[in-house]
Amino acid sequence: MFKEFIKHLFPRVTIKKNLKFTYTLCLGGLSFTAFLILIISGILLALYYTPEPNNAYNSIIFIEENVSGGKYIRNLHRFASNTFLVLIFLHILRVIYTGAFLSRKYNWVIGLFLLFFSIFTGYTGYLLPMDQLAFWATQTGAELIKILPFGDYIYNILIPDGVGGRLTLIRFYALHIIILPVSIIILSFIHFFRVRRDKGVLPYL
Amino acid sequence: MIENNKDKYIKSDPYFFKIIKISSIIMIIFILIGAYFFDAPLEEKAEPYNAPNPSKSAWFLLWTQELASYGSYYIYLIILFFIIYMVMPFFIKKVPENAIWFHKSYKVINILTTIILFIIITLTIIAYFFRKEYWLLGF
Repeated sequence: MFKEFIKHLFPRVTIKKNLKFTYTLCLGGLSFTAFLILIISGILLALYYTPEPNNAYNSIIFIEENVSGGKYIRNLHRFASNTFLVLIFLHILRVIYTGAFLSRKYNWVIGLFLLFFSIFTGYTGYLLPMDQLAFWATQTGAELIKILPFGDYIYNILIPDGVGGRLTLIRFYALHIIILPVSIIILSFIHFFRVRRDKGVLPYL
Repeated sequence: MIENNKDKYIKSDPYFFKIIKISSIIMIIFILIGAYFFDAPLEEKAEPYNAPNPSKSAWFLLWTQELASYGSYYIYLIILFFIIYMVMPFFIKKVPENAIWFHKSYKVINILTTIILFIIITLTIIAYFFRKEYWLLGF
């Protein structure tokens, strides 16, 4: 039944030449595969992670040392997130170099929002381990936010009690595990829908 | 229409599904193996009053940090180019219907993109490898 459902998401027939590997390099699909791994590994990490400034770091230590396969799952989440970002960058480059973004303009805009949300998800996830690297990388990123137009306003919403503060960590956590991933999923499905609508690799047939 | 274009179209199942399946499996294996060899970094517990020198942002934001080190207002260039790229397709009318690699009708865009890509990679490399204490260049 699941297989039948998946089948119905795709057109019955596809344009033959669009299936040539060099046409898309499969980069969009590969990005989504990496994203699915991020969701699964992220859910597993969320079972043990504590989004509280004094305990966050200890919960990461606990995951690495006491949870069976915990260290590997954390490595998996990290490696998948780096791969995901690289694939999205490459996908954007492919879309530009093949001129696909010129004829599918609405999907291009959605794609740029997906890029932005993906980078933002990476940034919010960076703080969660609450180690020196996480704390200061986030702090440095936060200084960059301040330079932006309305930067102070955005900074105060995102970081109300300083990097590493209780409220800030909760906001980063909520953004990282719920708000941004759900936004990415919704936009991804609109993105896929538009690929078919715009007669891309999966036209309506 | 489909009957008249038998050579143009191909059944999704199995041809297209096979490609999806193979590429997904390759990507999953790649990530599973990569995670085995590359440890996620974990340093000492965060110390808000003990800043590392230099303090660097996440790798994917390093180029923006490097750019901002030359002048904070360069950040506006990023926003400007982001907006230009976002609206660009709405102003260019004559384009091939199908995606074609490096087609001459968007040669200028491709060259501009390559220059921007080169700048981003260069800034990232400088920030990652050559920025030492107090953000001074060093080897």
